[in-house]
Amino acid sequence: MKFIMNMLHRLIDFSIAKPKQVIRWNVLVASILLVLVLIPTLFPSVPLNGVKIDTDPENMLAKTEQVRVFHNDMRKEFGLYDILVVGIVNHENPQGVFNQKTLSNVLALTDYAKTLDGVVSREIISPSTVDRMQNAGQGVVNFDWLMKDVPSNDQAAKAVYDAAARIPFLNGTLVSEDGQALALYIPIKSKDLSYDVSKALKQKVSDLGMTDSVYITGLPVAQDQFGTEMFVQMAVSAPIAMLLIFLLMFFFFRNLALVSSAMIVAGLSVIVTMGLLVVTGNTVHIMSSMIPIFIMPIAVLDAVHILSDFFERYPEFKDQKKTIKHVMMDLFNPMVFTSVTTVVGFASLALTPIPPVQVFGIFVALGVLFAFLSTITFVPAFVMVLSKKSLEGFGNTHSARENSGTSEGFLEWVGHRSYRRFKSVLLISFILMGVAVYGVSKIQINDNPVKWFSKTHDIRVSDKALNERFAGTYMAYMVLEKKLDRETVTALAVKHHIPSDLINGESKEAVLNQLYDWADEQEMSDMWNDRIDAYAAELQTFKHPENLKAMSDFQDYLLSTGLVGKSNSLADVVKTVHRDLYGKDDAYVIPEKNGAIGQVLLTYQNSHRPNDLWHFVTPDYSKANLWMQLKSGDNADMNKLVAAVDQYLDTHPSFGMDAKWYGMTYINTVWQDKMVNGMAASFIGSFLVVLLLMTLLFRSALWGALAMLPLTITIAGIYGLIGFIGKAYDMPIAVLSSLSLGLAVDYAIHFLARSREMRKNYPSWRETVQPLFGEPARAIFRNVIVVSIGFVPLLFAPLVPYQTVGIFIASILFLAGAVTLVVLPAMMTLLSHWLFKDHHGQLTQATKISIGVIVALIVMQNILM
Amino acid sequence: MKKMFLTLLIMVFGAGAANAMSVEKIIERANEASYYKGDDGRAKVKMKIVDSQDRERERQFTILRKNTANQSQRFYVYFERPSDVKKMSFLVYKYVKGDDDRWMYLPSLDLVKRISAGDQRTSFVGSHFYYEDVSGRNPNADVHTLVDTDDTYYVVESKPKDQKSVEFSKYKTWIHKLSFLPIRTVYYDSKGQEYRTYTATKVETVKGYPTVVAAEMKDDVIGGKTILTYENVSYDVGLPDDIFTERYLKKAPTQYLK
Repeated sequence: MKFIMNMLHRLIDFSIAKPKQVIRWNVLVASILLVLVLIPTLFPSVPLNGVKIDTDPENMLAKTEQVRVFHNDMRKEFGLYDILVVGIVNHENPQGVFNQKTLSNVLALTDYAKTLDGVVSREIISPSTVDRMQNAGQGVVNFDWLMKDVPSNDQAAKAVYDAAARIPFLNGTLVSEDGQALALYIPIKSKDLSYDVSKALKQKVSDLGMTDSVYITGLPVAQDQFGTEMFVQMAVSAPIAMLLIFLLMFFFFRNLALVSSAMIVAGLSVIVTMGLLVVTGNTVHIMSSMIPIFIMPIAVLDAVHILSDFFERYPEFKDQKKTIKHVMMDLFNPMVFTSVTTVVGFASLALTPIPPVQVFGIFVALGVLFAFLSTITFVPAFVMVLSKKSLEGFGNTHSARENSGTSEGFLEWVGHRSYRRFKSVLLISFILMGVAVYGVSKIQINDNPVKWFSKTHDIRVSDKALNERFAGTYMAYMVLEKKLDRETVTALAVKHHIPSDLINGESKEAVLNQLYDWADEQEMSDMWNDRIDAYAAELQTFKHPENLKAMSDFQDYLLSTGLVGKSNSLADVVKTVHRDLYGKDDAYVIPEKNGAIGQVLLTYQNSHRPNDLWHFVTPDYSKANLWMQLKSGDNADMNKLVAAVDQYLDTHPSFGMDAKWYGMTYINTVWQDKMVNGMAASFIGSFLVVLLLMTLLFRSALWGALAMLPLTITIAGIYGLIGFIGKAYDMPIAVLSSLSLGLAVDYAIHFLARSREMRKNYPSWRETVQPLFGEPARAIFRNVIVVSIGFVPLLFAPLVPYQTVGIFIASILFLAGAVTLVVLPAMMTLLSHWLFKDHHGQLTQATKISIGVIVALIVMQNILM
Repeated sequence: MKKMFLTLLIMVFGAGAANAMSVEKIIERANEASYYKGDDGRAKVKMKIVDSQDRERERQFTILRKNTANQSQRFYVYFERPSDVKKMSFLVYKYVKGDDDRWMYLPSLDLVKRISAGDQRTSFVGSHFYYEDVSGRNPNADVHTLVDTDDTYYVVESKPKDQKSVEFSKYKTWIHKLSFLPIRTVYYDSKGQEYRTYTATKVETVKGYPTVVAAEMKDDVIGGKTILTYENVSYDVGLPDDIFTERYLKKAPTQYLK
């Protein structure tokens, strides 16, 4: 520890002695990283890591995460693709989109979509690509495309709707329940093609001169948009923030050159951090794209303290070297500790189970570390190379003091009040804390990636338009499977007169294959084959009427929860075909015999799209896939559905099938859950570590606890507010907790360290308060203003999570600053008797015990979580 | 040696015949060789459907065929496997002019249905073969051009007269010069890309008729393929007319199915 401190001191001395060399080194490091990033990005053939964008919410979970592996296995097994949804709504025509003109355009658009690269043409769902089965009277059943050709008139167009509305799979999915709108589903081979495909479709819509409202949406489109907006945020919001910080600093310090030094540090830190991120092969993700906007204000934080102190002291010394040396000595400890706590706060995110959050935490921590090193080397060096002339008139002289007179008078007033009225201040704080805790208890955990876009965004508008008219655009899936144990498999064999000793093999398939091979060698192979056939059929779970009925009842229940707009399953396919074979509505039932189901399904397979069946069941009929369309993608709603299903399964033991969720709407709830728990763990962990650091820094448990006070009140206050205003606890809000921990403690450190130093120069705490509310309070005040306003440009970012982060970081910093300047002095007044006892640098017994307890808690927390 | 001589002889004559033969004649002979051998025919068919994930399904059925006047035909398809569709049967009346008539019987529902289909290019019982591949596409539906002739094959390119009724833009058929059996047919999409291929993988001579006894249809759009093997093929069985009626859909003519 001492060694590191000595090294840092030497580094500062070196920077003051050899300023030019230090400046060169700082710039060199940043330039090297910049080149390393630019080369592979501009020339992809170079085998280095260039900028890679990742907008896939699936990546919130590690690739090996079991839920994610299962999700992808099932998507593959049931042949499901990422889908672009083309919603078409017509407000003018009384028949909505079911008019001759619109439908002929839809036909042309579909034919065009089929020719696009990356589109899985056979899986497109559009009136011209799906089949319908119709009773044509007199024992005739008619199979044909739903819309074979351009409808000859509006009446024929309406007939397309009527036919589709009769098919449960299409009603509420392809055609809206109100008969006014259509949604086409264009599956794509991979997500990264969605941009090209949607652009081509948009172009075609405009070429066709469609007058209807056409919405192109779907998860891949949303993701793609996300990538673009991420760059908007990085390329627009971040530079605006930088400009704003620059202007504010210039307002306070009125020296272009000095203020530039802080900005250069911020710029270098961002370049180095993002450079490291890219060079190490990490992706630019929703989380990592926020790194610049976090690094920048944190990077200027220390520089503002240095400049602030320099600003106050320069008129006194009138010598660059003397002033900067003095300033660096003054601020060394608080700077080291504020940086360490910020690093701890962010690094603790590495303990969360969400890979992008880990990356974010680690790289912000690295960035803060670099910013610290750069600040303590580059800023003093920069000060040294400035000509004396450029500093003429610089500093808090009388004329400058008049300029910022209001804030100064205000701060002195604040300090005075906090001291005099410390009991009222503490009482009010205490009551507010109680209210805040109640607010925290009301927090609603919820998230929805579509709501990451602002309300007026195309994606949100489409989402709303489509969910108003259709059964829901959010998909959740469930795999049903009846586990057949060995005993059942053997017992069924005996039932079909197959010798049980022939039942060997790992899987059902293996058992059957062996049996068939055996039968072919037997004399009466036909008889044996027939028996094995019957046995195989018995093993096919989803050809049994009772299982399909159970599934159908379960679907009725799903609908009754009000959470599911519509569900689709093999049971619906069987019922639909059964009804159309009989040509009467009351035949919309599951037939009673096993054979009937097999025969109904074979009938279905005589269509243009026989393979649609395998989206609902595996060809061995052992696993069924239940599709659910939800009108809301809120995790809270999905969680309600999961709970409702659990309850159903618990109360219906006869259901007898294992049910397992997958699909993005479900996956989102999984990573949210991990995020909430992971954040809580990482927050508690870093809170304890920071408490330990504070206790060690101040060599006192009381001072250590005091340092935690502003951040505790701030976090309780902010999260209490979140609970009260009903803002959902979502991804950005979760990340903020660890972040505010790292930042809010900074002010307390500066304030406490300075007050302790100053107290030595004054006879009592009472006399210390006024000078404390001079330069030290001003530095904190300037910091609060510069950094919190620095986050404001995020409010203009196009994505909601960035806005949330902007609002809450600004509020956190503001509140932390206010608590530090108001509540902390009040508390110190209350405790002044104990606080300023001189222990000659020795740890008291109580402090030693506290350290022991904190260490034990840290160990326990790491073992338990 | 004898065989070689025979081959040589056939090659010479075959080549000679090719020069004289018009594409219409080639198609007519191919159609006959594929679908019209003898007065009637019977075969037990094993169908193996392999999907894009290499999952396999098997079906087994017997197919009976009888030629009637004016190149019309009747087909009777009787399912044996899988067991839950056992006794399910299809009846098809194929006409050269006009749409086919089709019937289907579902034994578990004891239901006979006449089927009217918008087109012939729907899947045959979930396989990669279409109905049209099983009963034969009407040669008059396409315009044929002889694009190549080599030692063994006539290569005919066929383009649909009604583009809207089919999903392909054209197809090419490799017709064996001697047997006139189409050995390979490749279908092209609207961009001219190959996407669907029929291959006769095994040919045997049954009662003097060269007969495809194994074939497969591969479809890259759907993914996977279907393999057909024909067993117990026979011709001129003497199938009575009344087998091909609705009454026999319900009551299988067992003696003719063995």
